[in-house]
Amino acid sequence: MATEVVIPMLGVTVEKGKILEWLKKEGDSVERGESIFVVEADKVTTEVESPAGGILAKILVEAGREVPVLTVVGLIAEPGEEIPADYETAAAAEAPKPAMAAAAAPTSFGSSTPALAPRVSVKPAGPIAIMPSARKLALEKGIDFAGIDPTGPDGVILLRDVEVAATTPAGKASTLARRLAAQKGIDVAGIEGSGVRGRIMRADVQNAVAEAKRPALGKVISMESMRQVIARRMTQSALTAPHIYFFSDIQMDPLLDFRQEIVAEFEKQFGLRPSINDLLIKAVALNILDFPLLNASVNGQEIHIAPEVNVCLAVALDDGLIVPAIANADVAGLVDIVRQRQDLVARARSGKLTMEEIERGTFTISSLAQYDITYFTAILNPPQSGILSIGKTREELYLDTDGAVGKRKVATFGLSVDHRIIDGTLAADFLQNLKWKLERPAFTFLHL
Amino acid sequence: MLAEVMMYDLAIIGGGPGGYVAAIRGAQQGLKVLLVEKGALGGTCLNRGCIPTKCFVYDSKLFKAAKDSPVLTGTDLLAVDPVQMVTRKRSVVKTLVGGLGGILSSHGIEVVSGTGQLLGRGKLRVQTTEGSAYNYEARSIILATGSRPAVPPFIDVDGHFVQTTDEALDAEELPANLIIIGGGVIGIEMATLFLNLGVQVTILELLPDILLTEDQEVRQTMRRLLKRSGAALHLKAKAQDIRVVDDRVKVTFEDADGTVNTLEADRLLVATGRTPVLDGINPPGLNLETNGPFIKVNRRLQTNLANVYAIGDVVGGLMLAHKASAEAEAAIENILGRKKEIIAETIPRCIWGMAEIGAVGLNEEEARATGRRIRIGKFPFAASGAAQAMGDTAGFAKIIADAVNGEILGLHIMGAHATDLVGYAVNAMTMEAAVEDLAQAIQAHPTVSETVMEAALDWKGLAIHIPKR
Repeated sequence: MATEVVIPMLGVTVEKGKILEWLKKEGDSVERGESIFVVEADKVTTEVESPAGGILAKILVEAGREVPVLTVVGLIAEPGEEIPADYETAAAAEAPKPAMAAAAAPTSFGSSTPALAPRVSVKPAGPIAIMPSARKLALEKGIDFAGIDPTGPDGVILLRDVEVAATTPAGKASTLARRLAAQKGIDVAGIEGSGVRGRIMRADVQNAVAEAKRPALGKVISMESMRQVIARRMTQSALTAPHIYFFSDIQMDPLLDFRQEIVAEFEKQFGLRPSINDLLIKAVALNILDFPLLNASVNGQEIHIAPEVNVCLAVALDDGLIVPAIANADVAGLVDIVRQRQDLVARARSGKLTMEEIERGTFTISSLAQYDITYFTAILNPPQSGILSIGKTREELYLDTDGAVGKRKVATFGLSVDHRIIDGTLAADFLQNLKWKLERPAFTFLHL
Repeated sequence: MLAEVMMYDLAIIGGGPGGYVAAIRGAQQGLKVLLVEKGALGGTCLNRGCIPTKCFVYDSKLFKAAKDSPVLTGTDLLAVDPVQMVTRKRSVVKTLVGGLGGILSSHGIEVVSGTGQLLGRGKLRVQTTEGSAYNYEARSIILATGSRPAVPPFIDVDGHFVQTTDEALDAEELPANLIIIGGGVIGIEMATLFLNLGVQVTILELLPDILLTEDQEVRQTMRRLLKRSGAALHLKAKAQDIRVVDDRVKVTFEDADGTVNTLEADRLLVATGRTPVLDGINPPGLNLETNGPFIKVNRRLQTNLANVYAIGDVVGGLMLAHKASAEAEAAIENILGRKKEIIAETIPRCIWGMAEIGAVGLNEEEARATGRRIRIGKFPFAASGAAQAMGDTAGFAKIIADAVNGEILGLHIMGAHATDLVGYAVNAMTMEAAVEDLAQAIQAHPTVSETVMEAALDWKGLAIHIPKR
C-alpha cells in the first residue's frame, strides 16, 4: 500500500505550509528519512523527510502552492505498485486532501480547530469492507457506509471510523446550510450539525462562521479587509504624524439644557431628534472656521487647507469602526446635520457607505461618552490634522464665584493634533475656543 | 394539622392543545405531571373551536357541493338538518375528548377538574368543581389557560340573538340571515359555513381589509369568492349600537364613507378576536410580567417567575392550536434543561374560507419589507388537472423566495386541500430546503400537490402547465 507524504505540523500556531521545492521528481527512488521537499511556514523553511522508502510515485501538490498542514502532498510506493485512482493532484482537486494520520497527530490549536480541518476523502474501490462492530454502530446511528472514511488496513472501516463519522457528518447539510457555507467559503464537513440525526442546519454554519472570527487564546484570526485598512491607516498615522494631546474639562449643563429645550419642538417641526453629537458636530465645524489649520493636511512640502469642513463621526461596528463625514457641517443647518448623521450611521452599520462619504472628511470626532471612560487619546484619521476624543459626562462639585459649592456636569475633551503643522498654542486656542462655544450654546447656535 | 400538600414535577393549568400536549410530553420524559382543567379536556380547540368548526365546514361544504352539482338530480329538495349537524359535532367532540382522557391516563397523568390558581413559584391551588380546594406544589408550572372570545363593551352577548362562536357552534337552528362583526380568520370561517348552508351573510370589518395577516392576493381572491356567494362585505365599518327588537338584531354602524346605516338580521355573531384567560392568575399580585393583556414570555416560554412557563393563546402571537402544542413541547425541553426555541417563521396558518388557505412564512408585502431581493413563483389551480377534475378550480399556489439563495420566505396556497398542502411546504422550510428542492421533488399526478411543485418551477420560469410568460 502506498505511503502518504504530508506537510508536517510545523509549530503550534502554524496552519499552512508552502512547498518551496520538491527535492525529488516523480519516479525517483527515495530512502526512508531522506529529504524530499522543502516547506516554508511563517518565514521558516524546513526540509521534510520521507516517511518510507520506495519510489516517489506521485506529487499531488506542486511547488509554490500553500496548503494546510497535514495535507497529503505526495505518495511513496513500492516499485511496481499501482496508485489508487482516488488521488488527484492538487491542481485538479479543489480542496487539498489531508492525511488520515491527522487523527493521531497533535492538532495545531488544541481542541479549537480540528473540527475545521478538511476531511479525509480516500475511499477504497469496490465493495465497502466494514468490521462487524462498526457495521452495527453505523446501522444504529443511521450512517451511510459510503460516507465513512476508513482507516483500517486495505480500506476496512473500523469502529472508531464510525465514531468519527457520527460526530462529523459530511454531506448531511440542508440546502440553505450548504449554500451559506459556499457563500462564506467554509467547508460544511467540519461543522457539527444540530438538526435531526446530526443534519447541519443554517444556524450551525452561521455559528461556525462566527466562531472562526471569535477571538480566543492561542487562536490565529485572519484580518478581514476592514481590519486590514484600519491597521494600515492607524500605523501610517502613528508613524508619520507626530501627535500631541490636549485636554480640557467642558461644562456640559448648558449644552444638555439647550438640547432639552429645543428637542421637543424640533421633533414636532422636523420629525428629527437632534443628539448631543449633532450639536458637537455643528460647534466643531464653526470652531474650525476660526482655526482653518485644523482642517488641513500635509502634502509633501505644502499644507493643504481643505475647501470644505466635513466633520467625521467615528461609528463602532461589530468588527471594526468606520468614520463617515457629515458634509459642509459649517454651513449645514442642524436639520441637515441630524439627517446626514442618522443616514450615515445607519448605512455605516449596514455596510452601505460610499467611498466619497468616508474620504471627504477633514476633522474627526470620536466619542466614548456612553462608556465609563473619563478621557482618552485618539490617533489622527489620516491625512487629517485634528481629532477630538470625548469621554463620559460626569457630575462634579465645584466652587462658584461666591465660594459656594455647586454641582455641574463635566466632560473631558481631548484633542490630538499633527504637530508637523499645528503647534501647542494653536491647539490650546482651538480647544479653549470650542469650550467657550459649547458652554454658551445659545450664542454659538445663533448662527443657525 | 396542616393539610397534605401533593408534590409534582410539573403542574399544568389548562388542558387544551397547549396543556395536554405538555402533560403527555412531560410524562413521556419521566415527569410526574398534574393537569388542571376547569371544563372539558381539549380546551377551545376540541370543544368550541377547531374541531366543531371543521365538522360544520365539511357538512356545509357537502351540502353546497350537492346543491350546486351539475350531475345530481333532485337537489332542489335537498335540505340540511341543523340538529343533526350539532349532534354529529357533539359526537365527534365526545369521541376525541374521551380518547384524550384515555391517552392522559395511560401516561399516569393526574387530571384534576377545577380552576387552577397560581399562588407563586411552584405553588398552586385548585378549586374543584365539587367545591373543595387543594394545594399542590410542583417544581415547574406551565400556564396554558388559553383564550375566550373578546367582545366589545357595548355588545351584550345573550347567547341566542347575539352570539360568539361559543354559542354559534352549538346552536340547533339556522338563521335565515346573519351579521358577523369581524372579518378575521374566525369571522371568515363562520361566514363560509353559513354561506354554504344558504344563510344570507353580512360582514362588518373595522380594518381596511379582511384576513389582514394574509397575502394581498389571497385576501383579494377571498373577497371575490365571498361576494360571489352573495355575502355583503363592509370594510372600515364601525359597529356603534346593537339592539334586539322583536326577535331581530339591529346593528347600527358607520360605513367607510362615514354614513351611518342600520342593518337587521336574525342573528349577530361577534367575531372580534380573542382575549387571554387569566382566571386564577393575578399578574400584578404575583409580579408576573405581562405583554399587553398576555403573559410575557421569552423565546424559551419562560415567564419572569422562575420555573413558571406559559404557552398558547395566553401568551399571544398566532392563536392557533398547533402553535400552542409546539410551544408545549419546547417548554418541556426547556424544563428538562435542553434549550429549545420555537421557530415562528414556520408555523403554518390554515383558514377554511370560501376556498381553503394554507400559508406559512411571510406575505409578499412583508417579504419586500425585509429589503431582500425576492422572486415569486405562482401557479393557478385552474391549470391543475386534479383541481379541474374535482370541479374546484379557485385559487393558486404562490411561493416567495430569496432571489439569491432560494430560501423559501413564504408560501401561500389557496384552493382545494390547501390546508393539507401547506404541510409539505412546512416540512421543506423546516428542513431548510430551497425553492429548487420543492421544484425537484416529484409529485403524483393528478393531485393538487402539483400546484406547489409548478409554482416552485415557475419561480425559475420553468412551469410546465402554464403558457410561457
